[in-house]
Amino acid sequence: MNPTYFLFLIYIIVCTLIITYWAANRTKTTPRFYVAAGKLTGFQNGMAIAGDFISAASFLGIIGMVALRGYDGFLYSIGFLVSYIVVLFLIAEPIHRLGQYSLGDVICARFPGQHMRLLMALGTFIISILYMIPQLVASGFLLRLLLNLDYSLSVLIVGVLMTIYVVTGGMIATSWVQIVKTVLLMSGTFLLTLIVFSHFDWKIASLIDKVKDGSPFGMEFFRPGHLFQNPIEFFSLQLSLVLGTAGLPHILIRLYTVRNTFQVRRSLISSTWIIGSFYFMTLLLGLGTVALLGYDNLFSLDPTGNIAAPLLAHAVGGDFLLAFVAAIAFTTIIAVVAGLVISATTAFSHDIVHHILKKGKSTEKEQLHAARLSALAIGMISTLFALSLENINVTFLVSITFIVAASSIFPVLLLTFYWKRFTAVGVITGMATGLLSSLIFVIFGPHVMNPQDGWILREPLFSLYNPGIITIPLGFLGAIVGSLLSGKKRQSICEFERFFVRAHIGMDTRREVE
Amino acid sequence: MEEKIRAHLRKRKRLLILLLSVSLLFYFLLPLSLIFIPDVMSRPSFFYNMPWAWLYAILQIPMTWVFVGIYHAFAKKMERTMPVNKEDAL
Repeated sequence: MNPTYFLFLIYIIVCTLIITYWAANRTKTTPRFYVAAGKLTGFQNGMAIAGDFISAASFLGIIGMVALRGYDGFLYSIGFLVSYIVVLFLIAEPIHRLGQYSLGDVICARFPGQHMRLLMALGTFIISILYMIPQLVASGFLLRLLLNLDYSLSVLIVGVLMTIYVVTGGMIATSWVQIVKTVLLMSGTFLLTLIVFSHFDWKIASLIDKVKDGSPFGMEFFRPGHLFQNPIEFFSLQLSLVLGTAGLPHILIRLYTVRNTFQVRRSLISSTWIIGSFYFMTLLLGLGTVALLGYDNLFSLDPTGNIAAPLLAHAVGGDFLLAFVAAIAFTTIIAVVAGLVISATTAFSHDIVHHILKKGKSTEKEQLHAARLSALAIGMISTLFALSLENINVTFLVSITFIVAASSIFPVLLLTFYWKRFTAVGVITGMATGLLSSLIFVIFGPHVMNPQDGWILREPLFSLYNPGIITIPLGFLGAIVGSLLSGKKRQSICEFERFFVRAHIGMDTRREVE
Repeated sequence: MEEKIRAHLRKRKRLLILLLSVSLLFYFLLPLSLIFIPDVMSRPSFFYNMPWAWLYAILQIPMTWVFVGIYHAFAKKMERTMPVNKEDAL
């Protein structure tokens, strides 16, 4: 391995382990383990949310998509960003007011019961694991590509690190690793953008001219339509992207880590500024890649475009800048997987072990012990899974996560907060319809059933790669029909009004519990 | 529920629906315009002859910042003008 790459990698690992050691000394109580005791400021949490949200697929994938697909590649970023409007306007404040550590707490605030908690825990668990596996698999390929490390060793390094962060430092370590990642990612991307832009004398016209020269399509490169030809597929993707974030448990539980709704809003505003600026820079970097490396050159080296950013960094800054970009990609992966581990851990240890198995009677010490053990088990099992998936294409699981989240958790949360006729049966039917329909449409869709390279070598039963346009309405329909058919179990007007006031203008629930 | 709280919640709901509808309309007009009027969106604009679709897509970034900013300002004002002590409302 190139010594520069090795030094950067070691530097990142040592820094994050120092953070974890510092955090471990502060993670002595359950609230601190699960939600950092609500002590982060809005801006810190905003940086952590951005760190949790921007995955390697965003950092490396979108630059490559813009370079190869032009405008259509950029549209992914827009959906991801605008989704924060939905989170802020509809979901964020009620979640903060009603929940303690998990999404199960939120639903149980209106519909108490172990079934509700189990269902939400399962939903959280499925989504977190579905998202974590492809991140770990991608980390194996990425480190092999960038640092020439063996796939298994790469996955093992990332798996062990994420487990150490969460087991010893809980949410405090996870948050600070994510904050460091955001600082590195934003400063690195900004530096790279400045260097690339300087190659065009700081002139947009010059960049556009060079892109035209670098692409075989000329000015046609800038026309929409290089990726999305099917309008239903395109609209369906945009719908899933904009509603998906509002159902992602690892993002939503971050709203517990600040002390009041003012800080919740500041968290989301900060994260939209960071994410928006980041996507704008990736747009310039994608165009810069075409202009400086050439479309044909990039396509011949990597038809997926995933190594566009490292290639660009090497072209403008040599080995040193490439090592820096590789270090950013590595930090990006470990920050995202750590967030997913803590989300799955909370669902398992808080909802299933503490509330369901122990009937809410475990002591503070037992809860903390169960949480650490759960994190260890989840980290180990996910790593083992990723190790065995080297030869299987699991990248589609990333887009599936958004569809499952938008079709199951989002409808249930939205109707819980705003619909007075919603019932516990509606929660069950909504979650079940959303989850099952998403999984069925994916399994019988072209991601899995494909005569060329699918897991099942047959023609797909459903033609959509992104079935959100069908599964999201199905999730809502399941919840609504279930509620209407169980109308007798509806809350009284008085009960609903009390809940509604608590959810929308109730007092803040984040308090330090020592 | 006290009438003042009802009025407060109604006002909050009205503004929320307005902000949400305008922002989502602005967002969904992007894919819809690309589907239904692709030729118009591909025409060169005043900005270095880039197609209008690029300008509209890039505008979504400041649009998001503006809307979350407006919402925050509105929510702060609503919290200040809460009709009763929040604990009483519970």
